[in-house]
Amino acid sequence: MNCQEFESVLPDYLESGHTSEQQAHLSSCSSCAGLVADLNFISATARQLQDAEEPSPAVWNALEIQLRREGLIRDIPIREVVPACSSSLLDFFRRRRTAWLVPVAAALVIAAGVKLYRPFGAGDTNPVARAVAPAPETPANSGEDERVLSTVAARFPAQQANYRKNMEDANSYIRDAEQSIKNDPNDVYSQELLINAYEQKQMIYDLAVDRTGEQ
Amino acid sequence: MTDAKKLQAEKLTETEAIERAKLGDEEAFHILYGLHKRRVYSLCLRMTGNPASAEDLTQEAFLQLFRKIATFRGESAFSTWLHRMSVNVVLMQLRKKSLPVVPIDETMEGEEESTVRKEPGAPDGRLAGAIDRLHLQRAVDELPPGYRTIFVLHDVEGYEHNEIAGIVGCSIGNSKSQLHKARIKLRELLRMNRAEKAGTGRTGKR
Repeated sequence: MNCQEFESVLPDYLESGHTSEQQAHLSSCSSCAGLVADLNFISATARQLQDAEEPSPAVWNALEIQLRREGLIRDIPIREVVPACSSSLLDFFRRRRTAWLVPVAAALVIAAGVKLYRPFGAGDTNPVARAVAPAPETPANSGEDERVLSTVAARFPAQQANYRKNMEDANSYIRDAEQSIKNDPNDVYSQELLINAYEQKQMIYDLAVDRTGEQ
Repeated sequence: MTDAKKLQAEKLTETEAIERAKLGDEEAFHILYGLHKRRVYSLCLRMTGNPASAEDLTQEAFLQLFRKIATFRGESAFSTWLHRMSVNVVLMQLRKKSLPVVPIDETMEGEEESTVRKEPGAPDGRLAGAIDRLHLQRAVDELPPGYRTIFVLHDVEGYEHNEIAGIVGCSIGNSKSQLHKARIKLRELLRMNRAEKAGTGRTGKR
């Protein structure tokens, strides 16, 4: 076997092994032996490229935004969230990666006005540290809130207190954030809190519907 | 700490993360992304040679995955499912840009293209020990798109020729032929780069 003949069978040689004739040629030809060694080396080194690079954090950020837009992210698994809701909403906000909401909130607040963010007709109360103006004293849920709570109470009496507490907390945060924005329309932090608070309240509604739908 | 170790530390298996992702749990999505982001991004980068495009394609691949995750039943490995989806996303993009997925033109060229007779270098100038992953990475980026696709799918990602034939729409023989030519081309590029660096300008055959 000469070099030309060896090269013609080289792909098969690399894929499926060699014959004694081919091996004999390799033993006597440093050029072909070098070629085989190089190709094997390239192939072996190629595996190191498999996970050699890391995407920038921007990829996950963009992905997360899109997943939220499409409703694929629901933040917390349904069956685990009710006990979690008994902890402070502030903890919930701290745990969440919500930086992307800031520009969204700012744009929405500036373009549409704070009033558009009162779909549930929340009452007033429960002063919070960031509120500049004093807030009313008595916690109040809207009629819609009370209807949801009544449904939960009827079907899951043990969860009623949790739901009521979480609903009042969400309403309290909404009022606080709205008050802060009223005092300073450029307060980005409060804009973020407002969006978060409405998302939290929406989640409480969703959970109530999901749980009652399970029965 | 590696992603796998983090998973272990959190006592959350990939299977559990998948199930939680089906419920819409953000952390589960993040865990799955963290586990596979390097592999998917590296695949996209190697096949496109463009970091910006690779990031867009990585995002698109994961987005498609997460949109369909509710349908994942575990018949195949999750990673297999994801990587196949990523390959399809990249190939679709290449086709949109009218870049050759299968190197038809190269196939039509004479077989001497792939022969050792044109190879520069000396018997003692083997690549092993002289080049590393980064050199190879740069050389792969210099490959014509068609060669690059086959090489990345086979030698980097580990697909078999019959799988590649199905993925890119060519024959098994064509896949084998293009892979061989891609390796030969890479050897040529690596040896030329090494020669240029050494300042010898050596291009003739030993």
